[in-house]
Amino acid sequence: MPGFFVLLRIVLQGIKPDMLRGRLTESGKRGLVLISPPFAYALLLLAVPLATILLFSFWTQDYLTIDTTFTFSNYTEAFGDPLYMALLRRSLLIAGAVTVVTVLLAFPIAYFVSFHVQPSRKSLWLFLITIPFWTSYLIRVFLWKVILGYNGVLNSSLIGVGLIDEPLSFILYNANAVVITLAHAFAPFAILPIFVALEKIDRSLLEASLDLGETRVTTFLRVTLPLAMPGVVAAVLIVFIPTIGDYVTPRLVGGPDGLMIANMIQTQFLKLNNAPMGATLAILAMLSVTAVSLVFIWLNRRWLRGPK
Amino acid sequence: MTLIQLSGVNKHFGDYHALRDIDLEIQQGEFFSLLGPSGCGKTTLLRTIAGFEDVGSGSIRIDGRDMKGVGPNLRPTNMVFQSYAIFPHLSVAENVGFGLRRADMTRDEKTRAVGEALEMVGLGGYGGRAANALSGGQRQRVALARALILKPKVLLLDEPLSALDKKIREQMQVELIKLQREVGITFILVTHDQEEALVMSDRIAVMFDGGIGQMDDPETLYRRPRSKRVAQFIGMMNFLDGEVAATGTEIEVTVQGLGRCSVAAEQAPGAVAPGPVSIGIRPETLSLLFEGETTTRKEVAAVVDEVVYYGDMTYYDVRVDGIEKPLTLSMKNLIGRPVLDVGTQTRVAWDERSLVLLGH
Repeated sequence: MPGFFVLLRIVLQGIKPDMLRGRLTESGKRGLVLISPPFAYALLLLAVPLATILLFSFWTQDYLTIDTTFTFSNYTEAFGDPLYMALLRRSLLIAGAVTVVTVLLAFPIAYFVSFHVQPSRKSLWLFLITIPFWTSYLIRVFLWKVILGYNGVLNSSLIGVGLIDEPLSFILYNANAVVITLAHAFAPFAILPIFVALEKIDRSLLEASLDLGETRVTTFLRVTLPLAMPGVVAAVLIVFIPTIGDYVTPRLVGGPDGLMIANMIQTQFLKLNNAPMGATLAILAMLSVTAVSLVFIWLNRRWLRGPK
Repeated sequence: MTLIQLSGVNKHFGDYHALRDIDLEIQQGEFFSLLGPSGCGKTTLLRTIAGFEDVGSGSIRIDGRDMKGVGPNLRPTNMVFQSYAIFPHLSVAENVGFGLRRADMTRDEKTRAVGEALEMVGLGGYGGRAANALSGGQRQRVALARALILKPKVLLLDEPLSALDKKIREQMQVELIKLQREVGITFILVTHDQEEALVMSDRIAVMFDGGIGQMDDPETLYRRPRSKRVAQFIGMMNFLDGEVAATGTEIEVTVQGLGRCSVAAEQAPGAVAPGPVSIGIRPETLSLLFEGETTTRKEVAAVVDEVVYYGDMTYYDVRVDGIEKPLTLSMKNLIGRPVLDVGTQTRVAWDERSLVLLGH
């Protein structure tokens, strides 16, 4: 999505007043030719579907046909129905929990690779971190079912060791299972941006902080962490945005209490044959993501002063 | 008063012997320089004093206290880093006040101290600026203010001027000397620029391969280098082969191309034994004799081989019979003095005081 806006900006900046009067400069022409294939692609696959969804959200389903009268009734219904709002709230909470868990676990890993692995070994480590991606997402989710199940790997081991007498039931078919599964799936997405931010920190800054009387711990808090913030914010966005719309994981490991807004959107489109309502919920989900992302982008701007 | 005392300091990085038996004493209030080519260990030595590197063997004492096991945050030293290490996420004032967090001062006192420190380095009123909006010279000043505000016993400077262009560098050299006299803090400067070291320092240690080649004040270092290596590194020097015939208060020596002469013993900084010897001659101790000019010094016939014109000075390479490499000499371009062309037959004036005996 941001890619689309970047393209759009490039195109708009490329258009000079001369062009609007029908006179294209040589370089302007060449620029437009160069940009047009990806732009057409983005237009077709991003902007058009997005506009369609937006349009649908203002229509209504009239049994088998779609009533194309412009109305806000879907939005009124979505805000009025406690089920939709509960699902949206739960999606935000689960996505938030996944983001917190993922970023908190990713930071130490990224820190270790950046600061304590020999430079010649770093790429090997990054390569190993991507191993989860070698298996399909679906299989990974299924594997978590095997691990977390009533008679699964975790429960039978814990019983075998004698730590528990009966299987733990709070780890599968609820929101916890969704958080665990998604946090694992998105770990590399969080590790990589944080790693890059840590790599960019000039090591002499840390020495300067030590030299000025700070300990290793306070140096981390006063120098390393603030300078790693752009990476942390990127990781937060990269994890939060896709997880809020995830519907495979909640469907497979979430149980009835772990379902999220995307499951409802899917149901509206495919089972209830109510595309306009599905579109409305999709727009609402997107708006919540946008709101959260804007907050983080603003935080990031505040955090790092100076020219951008 | 001796402020810093290093005895028998050795340091290895794996198989690499980075510091070899370093013994040195630095006095309170001294401007001391560590000079040497890259890889000679000067920065490592500075970092061991700052506490960023452990010493393998030997001891470092600062102000009478053994620094073994004392971290950089607890040493009475502060450092100006080669890259300046200005915190990019903080303003100029926050950078300068970074080390004051633990100081027993009120907020107002801290603000005043930061203002004074910025004033001292000529950046008054810059406190609110973003650190990464500064020029190289300004960053350097911020780094200085940030280190000096903590009133360290020793200020360590790791090639602080090498990233600046020539004009600003020369200006900063003068400012640093003034600042050092003003605050009276001991400065230890690491540099690979011999001119910078000569201009700024009270004393210089020239380092090669992890060891100290010679430690002296700038004038002694320039006039009486103890070895060919030091002589080569500091300023320009012509090297001639010679043969010592007899030693004593006067040394009898035969110089390639120039003949036999006797030289005062103090012109041979190291011990000299009869036999082959290397002889150094600085370009400015030789002079060209222009047409009709006479001299009370000795003279030898020469042919101009190369002319390099610097404006205030002209450097000539001249060929002298019996010396395979041309001799370099420098002449001030005084009023009415011509610049000679390549191939001109001329004479070179020299005398015994030009010679430095360097051992072999």
